[in-house]
Amino acid sequence: MTIKLNVDGVPHSVDADPSTPLLWVLRDHLNLTGVKFGCGMALCGSCTVLMNGAAIRSCAMPLSAVGEREITTIQNDQDPIIGKLQKAWVDEDVSQCGYCQPGQIMSAAGLLKSNAKPSDEEIIAAMRGNICRCGAYNRIKSAIKKVVAEA
Amino acid sequence: MEVSRRDFLKTTALTGTAFVLGLYLPEKSRVTAAESTAKKLAPNAFVRIGEDNRITFLIGQAEMGQNTFTTLSMCIAEDLDADWEKTDIISAPVHPAYNHAWAPMQLTGGSSSIYTMQAEMRKAGASIRQMLMSAAARRWNTQISRIKTKDSMVLNPATGARLTYGDLIEDIANLEVPQNPKLKSPEAFKLIGKPVKRHPKEAWAKVRGEAEFGIDVRLENQKYAAMIHPPVFGATVKNFDGSKALQRQGVHRVKQTPFGIAVIADHWWQAKQALDDVRVVWNAGEFKQVSSESLRQQYRAMMEKPGASARKEGDTAKAFQQAAQILEADYEFPFLAHAPMEPLNCTVHDQGGKAGIWTGGQMQTVYRNACAEALGLEREAVTYHNTYLGGGFGRRAVPNMDFILDAVFAAKGEPWPVMTLWAREDDIRMGNYRPLRINKVRVALDQQGNITALESKLVGQSIMADTMFASFIQNDVDPFMVEGLATHHYDFQNNDIQVYRVKLPIVPLWWRSVGHTHTAPVVEGIIDEAAHAAGRDPVDYRLNLLTEKRMVDVLEDVARISGWKTRKKEQNVGYGVAVVESFKSFVAQVAKVRVSGNQFEVEKVWCSVDCGFAFNPLNVENQMMGGIHFGLGPVKFSALTVKDGMVEQSNFHDYKVVRMSDAPDVEVSILNSGEEPGGIGEPGTPPIIAAVANAIFDATGKRYRSQPIEMG
Ligand code: FES
Ligand code: FES
Repeated sequence: MTIKLNVDGVPHSVDADPSTPLLWVLRDHLNLTGVKFGCGMALCGSCTVLMNGAAIRSCAMPLSAVGEREITTIQNDQDPIIGKLQKAWVDEDVSQCGYCQPGQIMSAAGLLKSNAKPSDEEIIAAMRGNICRCGAYNRIKSAIKKVVAEA
Repeated sequence: MEVSRRDFLKTTALTGTAFVLGLYLPEKSRVTAAESTAKKLAPNAFVRIGEDNRITFLIGQAEMGQNTFTTLSMCIAEDLDADWEKTDIISAPVHPAYNHAWAPMQLTGGSSSIYTMQAEMRKAGASIRQMLMSAAARRWNTQISRIKTKDSMVLNPATGARLTYGDLIEDIANLEVPQNPKLKSPEAFKLIGKPVKRHPKEAWAKVRGEAEFGIDVRLENQKYAAMIHPPVFGATVKNFDGSKALQRQGVHRVKQTPFGIAVIADHWWQAKQALDDVRVVWNAGEFKQVSSESLRQQYRAMMEKPGASARKEGDTAKAFQQAAQILEADYEFPFLAHAPMEPLNCTVHDQGGKAGIWTGGQMQTVYRNACAEALGLEREAVTYHNTYLGGGFGRRAVPNMDFILDAVFAAKGEPWPVMTLWAREDDIRMGNYRPLRINKVRVALDQQGNITALESKLVGQSIMADTMFASFIQNDVDPFMVEGLATHHYDFQNNDIQVYRVKLPIVPLWWRSVGHTHTAPVVEGIIDEAAHAAGRDPVDYRLNLLTEKRMVDVLEDVARISGWKTRKKEQNVGYGVAVVESFKSFVAQVAKVRVSGNQFEVEKVWCSVDCGFAFNPLNVENQMMGGIHFGLGPVKFSALTVKDGMVEQSNFHDYKVVRMSDAPDVEVSILNSGEEPGGIGEPGTPPIIAAVANAIFDATGKRYRSQPIEMG
């Protein structure tokens, strides 16, 4: 079945079962492998993307439920907040294995889009859905705060 | 023809063996056309210089977050005097030139990459630099002593002449590689010992989602396999019927692999959904009756008899007879999954007569060879591509090669490349865990409260047994099971450490810091109990009994940075300390814990580390932080339990790991002792487990010896 999808400003037509999670459509149909699979159950945040600007777990979002809404991934090179976060991530030397980091950045982007000056508690609340097995949490926090401070 | 690493360093480039080097060092498969036609020189196995003056480092170690790519490249770049901003790092192919110093294979483990390879990397850089200088001296008709280098350029300060390294690649092609090049003196270091961030190319690729992990490999006409694994450990497939699954859209094949049943489809999600339609009949085997509780009973029963001796000195029996006080403690450590963030996967293309294999692995040579054997090919006919690893923690150095063999057998005989990807549940339930271990400990204290004897009875599986590393086991003792325990640095005079090895169908595996995950909590727990029994300060008590200066130094340092002596007694707040040597490095930590009801939060951790010399202090700090958070998981909640021969947990909802909300602030102090360098990937983990338990005791007066700590 062909379903229309709007990703990073580009319209796509995807031939996939409507129940397919958005994650697998992005990774395996559209080849946007920056969106990561970690748990498949909305438990780890690796697959986070933005849907109309809000962070969602793409592994738990069926393709059929996306509709017209705009999907933004880590591979979006136009979004200024994502760009700022990426730079802060590099400046703060956040990534270790790096696998969780696209999801971390997208969760942070979702947070900053709705709240440009989050408190420490708000940062933790928004980020606790994202697991980093390498334990880069201290640096993730400082990178977000850096972007907040510059805002 | 096998070319050794020594040969690489001896031979020159564009002539003679150099062409062999070219053959042995294939370009990465997906370089662009421009890259592949541009002229490049491969003066040794680790460096390539392009005529555009871009320098590429080839690293045979796996990059799994521990930052080995950057740190080893810093060592080469330093002595090559390379312009760091104009370098690239790629994963080397499988070749003996990149073998580990410990074994005839490429291996990333034991926190050993930097300390085993740094000297050779520096020499690799220095020898090329010297060749470039002699080539320039020849061109400029001057003496080599007049020549300087800087940022990938050769300079003649007298004339102002300059050439890039890339300008000189033809010139150095015929030069002899110097065997004893002069290394930079430490005062001249620009990279080594400095807080250098992860290599910019890698760092940017990772934040843009462009870094290629095993799971991101995409080949033409690639298919995907999902797996069904045995529900019960040790179960085998009796028969299966995949006919219904094969009727589903996109599904191509249902077949057996050494570890389960693979369904191959156009997309992984299709394969995963089709698993429900495969009917498998299992031979459940004897393990069906087994539970964590039955294992516990089995382990405890073993302690009745004497075990294999890992350390015996003095007269322990006498010391216990004469003791003023005896402390007994029981420690229990559950099975743990590594749960690296990137689910396990491997891609194989069986091309008939040759094959390709793509994964992020910590034992490339072993995986390549296994692939060749399974496909009936010569080893050289298999090209192995090591991608970035989405975390390893030991799980991607797996002697039974579970996820690798699943992939090889899934792809065997198929017309397409096949990526076999395990779901998170496969990883959590399939074994290769930090094994369950139980340790019954006694210490004897004299009138002054000092420990005079330690007795330990440790039961559990040996990781090395039944693997290619089994020869490490001597006199029935696996040294990795008792590391840190049999080798503790306290002056107890009488030691009696006994071990009991268990065999189970649950495969055990090294988990970040290996044996120390369960020995550090025991040694650093019981000594804390003894300090308390003696009415002494836990830091002073340890200092008094330590026999190793480096342990003393980190302990004093962590006491200093944490303000140990002036810490305030506060309601529901506790401080705990621990000091551990692991992987040739010394780490002391103080944890500050706040208790409320049956909950505790680790608010802050101070960490002092002596790894001899910090090649990259920023990375040492990152690894300490990461190691601490990794160790906090099992302290707080990570545990696997067995029931009816199955692991009860399956994903991150019931196998809990540390999240940002659990992660304490960490302050790291690095002592450059100038002693022999040690590792940093793992040593951050062991002390935290004991430090937190000791802090909870400080806050509550209750000892928690088993993991996870369940208060109440
Ligand atoms: S993969 Fe979606 S939250 Fe883990
Ligand atoms: S950087 Fe490795 S999981 Fe976060």
